[in-house]
Amino acid sequence: MRNGGRARLLLVILMVTSLFLITLDLRGVKVIDNFKQGSQTIMSPFQRAGSVVLTPVKNFFSDVTHLGRTRNQIEKLKAENANLKQQLINRKNADVLLKQLKSILDLAGTAGYKVVNAKVISHGSSQSFSQTITIDSGTNAGIKKNMTVLSQYGIAGVVKDVYPNTALIQLASDPSFRIGARIAGTQQIGILNGRGTRSASLQLLDNSTTIKEGDVLLSRGSIANRPFVPGVPLGYVTGVDNSAGAVAQTATIRYYTNFSTLGVVAVVVTGSKSNPGDSLVPVKPRVKPIPTVTVFVTPSPTPTK
Amino acid sequence: MFTRQISIAAPIFLIIYVIQESVISQFRLPGGGFSLLLIFAFTWAVLSETEVAAVIGFAAGFLMDLSQSTSGPFGQWTLLMLISGYAISYIGYGDDNVQANAIGIIFFVVIANLLVEIAYVATGALLGVSVGSFIQVLITLFGMSLWALLISPIVLPVFSRLHALVFDSRSTL
Repeated sequence: MRNGGRARLLLVILMVTSLFLITLDLRGVKVIDNFKQGSQTIMSPFQRAGSVVLTPVKNFFSDVTHLGRTRNQIEKLKAENANLKQQLINRKNADVLLKQLKSILDLAGTAGYKVVNAKVISHGSSQSFSQTITIDSGTNAGIKKNMTVLSQYGIAGVVKDVYPNTALIQLASDPSFRIGARIAGTQQIGILNGRGTRSASLQLLDNSTTIKEGDVLLSRGSIANRPFVPGVPLGYVTGVDNSAGAVAQTATIRYYTNFSTLGVVAVVVTGSKSNPGDSLVPVKPRVKPIPTVTVFVTPSPTPTK
Repeated sequence: MFTRQISIAAPIFLIIYVIQESVISQFRLPGGGFSLLLIFAFTWAVLSETEVAAVIGFAAGFLMDLSQSTSGPFGQWTLLMLISGYAISYIGYGDDNVQANAIGIIFFVVIANLLVEIAYVATGALLGVSVGSFIQVLITLFGMSLWALLISPIVLPVFSRLHALVFDSRSTL
């Protein structure tokens, strides 16, 4: 009984204390606020540590709890990621096409050609051993048969067939492709034949003339600029055949154009009024000197064992 | 004797409080989760005399008021826990049906958990504390009770042994 009375007294005291605390808090006494802030200051390092340590566990439980939602989110993010990847690829592709187009326009602008730009929409099947591409412009864009087709580096081919909105281009690498060529500078002429690859063969018409490796070939041009306009860079000599008894000297040529990476081309609809001559000969890349660092090593006075 | 008990019990309370605030509060458990400090206080209260249970309730409530997540006025939890601790001990202490039976203790703890939360909501409404929609309150109350029912059997042996250590009880669960 005595113990029960003491317990009740204690209860009353503690209740009064609690009510006192509530009253103080509701009256906005600063001491209570400071007390709470102090306790939070002490607790915050523990909470930070707990947060760091428990993050993997929290993530695990979160994943388990929101399994369905997480899966949906993963699927959504995967789709979004695929979309972004596609956009990135498209962007990279567009950048490449833009670069090619800029080079083509520079080339055509230098020569004074009037061109129609077109995008390559398909590469012809090689089952018949022909090398062709299809472009997305045709007669509606002013393209006609037997017009010169340019790439960013030079000759790409010739318009073989033309349709209202598309055109078939015979690439310069096609084995049946022939073009009159002249060597820049010396003006020696010959006929260039495609070989089905990036290399071609040149047969000079005059057996008294000579050619050497590195010589640049340009197109000679045709009557009324069709099928070929003059002055278009074709390629450069990589090998000369000086076999005895040959009627005329022959050479192996490497085209400037990489036919497997054609993205955009330009069809020359009107040639330049005057022959551009050698103005389109590609500038040889300048070799930038690489600075070298010389390190002097002084031998140590005491030999190592 | 009483000083010795307080000096041992106080660090235990603080450790439980730190675990609650630093570890358990980190998890956003469904249904509102559980309060280890509540379960601890009620377990000890049901195993203690009314006098001790009142002090236990007061201390636990005071620590809960210190928590940053408490939205009510300082002292609200102190008052509620004090009364709850005293009441739970008053009803349960000395009754072997409760104290000698783990299920009885768990039942007391869970019911006390639910009632103290209801009391908090009710007194909070009187003191101007916003507790959310009625449905949300119901879900939280149900969730917390369920969590208490799940956690209490796990922690009961530990809390019981700690109580025996501090209060020199001869029987542990």
